[in-house]
Amino acid sequence: MNTQFDTIVIGGGVVGSGIAYHLSERSQESILVIDRKYPLAGTSGSTQAWVWVHNKTPSWYAELNYYSAELYPYLSKKIGDVEYKRTGGLSPFFHEKDRVKAMKLAEAYKEIGIDIKVLSKEEVLEKEPFMNPDVEGATYSSIDGNVNPFRLIDMYMRAAKRKGVQYSTYNPVHDLQKINGGFIVATTKDTYRCKRLILAGGTWSRELGKMIDVHIPMNQVRGQILVSEPLKPFLNHTVSGLRQANNGEVLMGYSMENKGFNRSTTLNVMQETANMAIRYVPAIKKAKIVRAFSGIRAMPEDGFPIIGAVPNIENLYVAATHSGVTLSPLIGTLITELIIDKETSIPIERYGISRFA
Amino acid sequence: MDKSVIVCRCEEISYEEIEEVITQGGRTFDDIKRITRCGMGACQSKICSKLVAEVIHKQTELSMEQIYPPRFRMPISPVSLEALATDSQQFSTVKSVLDEIELTDGKVK
Repeated sequence: MNTQFDTIVIGGGVVGSGIAYHLSERSQESILVIDRKYPLAGTSGSTQAWVWVHNKTPSWYAELNYYSAELYPYLSKKIGDVEYKRTGGLSPFFHEKDRVKAMKLAEAYKEIGIDIKVLSKEEVLEKEPFMNPDVEGATYSSIDGNVNPFRLIDMYMRAAKRKGVQYSTYNPVHDLQKINGGFIVATTKDTYRCKRLILAGGTWSRELGKMIDVHIPMNQVRGQILVSEPLKPFLNHTVSGLRQANNGEVLMGYSMENKGFNRSTTLNVMQETANMAIRYVPAIKKAKIVRAFSGIRAMPEDGFPIIGAVPNIENLYVAATHSGVTLSPLIGTLITELIIDKETSIPIERYGISRFA
Repeated sequence: MDKSVIVCRCEEISYEEIEEVITQGGRTFDDIKRITRCGMGACQSKICSKLVAEVIHKQTELSMEQIYPPRFRMPISPVSLEALATDSQQFSTVKSVLDEIELTDGKVK
């Protein structure tokens, strides 16, 4: 196999594959994506895959998510059906005191032009007839939705390969070195050279950065999810905590634990998740659970994406973020603009790695 | 095996679909599962895992000993949500989205 490339992307998940695809759309140069396993083996394959904007704070961060969600319909047209559905997003609350918080959230979003409604109990029940009648209200945004993460990454890979992108899988990276005019990437299978290097290692970003003396402050958060048997369609929206897939199965979960890379599922979190699901939609209690799974999410130290060029190391870029599914079309577009146009269509300085210096 | 043979009965995944993932670089049952849904159905791969291992073995250089079974997870057999649930109304690890929003001086930051 050829070992010289113009660009190497390390990480073939939703962020890395998204960048490789978007770059290949506009560039004839050679691109290699290296993955330590096979794309979807990590975070990208163990998610509910909401394309989610509302409730993200501060509002400037919601704005970034909003732009990315706006790109999804076009992305589906370009790479194929990824089962993207703009269902609208609903975050129910069960205590009247939460309405104040919800109103404040809507106010903050109004300033940036994102419309969030605070629904009354009756409005929630009209939108979601199976919701618990004890619900007091909900925040609602029409931009939110969900996507099939398996199809998304598969389609990114297929589209990228059609444009000449190569993938090297089951090939962990061991060492990175800056040389005159580029980089050396040493992996289990081979040693590669490239002019440009993009670090999209997700949860492993910190370890990857160390190989080239760049501090990428990335931590891990575990999320556990329950999957039901296929049920007759009954959930109209992406509810924060529950969503129904095209085949009828319901994914439920909204848990966060700091457990490093430990991907176990635990009975206590499964029980809490079951309690949450039944509290939201009481009728679901008769449904059967076929599986529990857990995913390790990437969580930058301050919670916000780390995207852009790495200062002082020419042609080195980093893209590491939470909410990779929501943000991938935008991050792919922005990194491509940075490489080809040398400037981005929206300012991203705020998300630069130098904020941690 | 004939290419049209259904390997995963629950999700109706054929030999050919599994073969294609291997052609694209997939090496494990879980790689095949994520791309095709093979083994994601009601039986959670109890029926198809050995058949898939055979396909992987035939299509790659991997020996049967090198092919790991899929990752089994709770519940071992489908169980209703009400059986899993408890009476507790306390949530510690599971949160609601609004719980995460903090107000500073009466404003969302």
